[in-house]
Amino acid sequence: MLEGTLDKNMKVLVVDDFSTMRRIVKNLLRDLGFSNISEADDGSSALPMLQNGDFDFVVTDWNMPGMQGIDLLKAIRADANLAHIPVLLITAEAKKEQIVMAAQAGVNGYIVKPFTAGTLKNKLEKIFERLG
Amino acid sequence: MNTLNTCHVSLEQANLLVGFLEAGQQEKADELVAEIQNPINTELFAEIGKLTRQLHDSLINFQLDSRISDLTKADIPDAKERLNYVITCTEEAANKTMDAVEAVFPVMDTIQQQIQTVNPPWSKLINNKLELSEFKSLCIDIDILLTNTDKQADNMRGLMTDVLMAQGFQDITGQVIRKVIDLVREVEDSLICMLTAFGISEDKTLERPRPTLGDNLIEGPIINTKGRDDVVENQDDVDDLLSSLGF
Repeated sequence: MLEGTLDKNMKVLVVDDFSTMRRIVKNLLRDLGFSNISEADDGSSALPMLQNGDFDFVVTDWNMPGMQGIDLLKAIRADANLAHIPVLLITAEAKKEQIVMAAQAGVNGYIVKPFTAGTLKNKLEKIFERLG
Repeated sequence: MNTLNTCHVSLEQANLLVGFLEAGQQEKADELVAEIQNPINTELFAEIGKLTRQLHDSLINFQLDSRISDLTKADIPDAKERLNYVITCTEEAANKTMDAVEAVFPVMDTIQQQIQTVNPPWSKLINNKLELSEFKSLCIDIDILLTNTDKQADNMRGLMTDVLMAQGFQDITGQVIRKVIDLVREVEDSLICMLTAFGISEDKTLERPRPTLGDNLIEGPIINTKGRDDVVENQDDVDDLLSSLGF
């Protein structure tokens, strides 16, 4: 279980166009103690969910057909009500330019696939350590 | 006055031409020029005729090649179906495996809980500190633990077998993908034939071209990172890159 003042009831949105990947991330988060998890299958369906709900954290893929993860990230940072939400990218996109692009757009963490449960835990801890 | 290919005009003709022009006989001069050009033109038309015929034949052969038409009408749509099938297959396998995994966790939780119930009185027993009244309750709890663990061991064996069987997708999808690779090879060969027919040579010394990129440099999972310096290979590389830039 994650140490610290991390709120285990925090509302998480998992975004990926592959349902199997959403399931894996959801399971890993549950394992880490988070049970308040919602899903979206594209950046375009995720954004209205974020605007209407009180989400505390977003985990998203990059390569999605409607709205890519990088564009979702930019939209989140551009919306005054959403800009504070930490965003973690989990993606197969592995080009250095893309990683820099994401960092400059304000991503809080970047995990490349294939990844391990340990990496996810590690990055989550780092993200909330920096914010807290 | 008709000369070899390499010699289009003679001194005699040139002098005659100049003579006509100096005498103001434009019509005669033009006639002479036409006469000189005639063999050249005939040659040129013959060459063009030959090329046109070659092109025509190549195009006809191309159209007549039923493989091309088969490829478009049947094999490529078939390949798309096959690849979609691979996606479906792998999704099913992933879900079956995760079902088994998700079923196992609560089973293990229960066993651990039962062990935790039994441990304190058991420790007391070991240290000779257990009351007789507690002994009966301990026996019952241990009995439950043993029976349950035995049952759950069978259950877990079944679930692990499910996981094993779910991996069968690899063989099926492997075969399907191989078929698609064959198709791609055939299309590749046809395209090369076509390029050759149109006289475009295949430069085999060209570097392997980079894959096409989508918006935001999207490329998808990178299969072969060899020889590329614009790509990270693992999470450590990602972390190094980000920290080197101060993120």
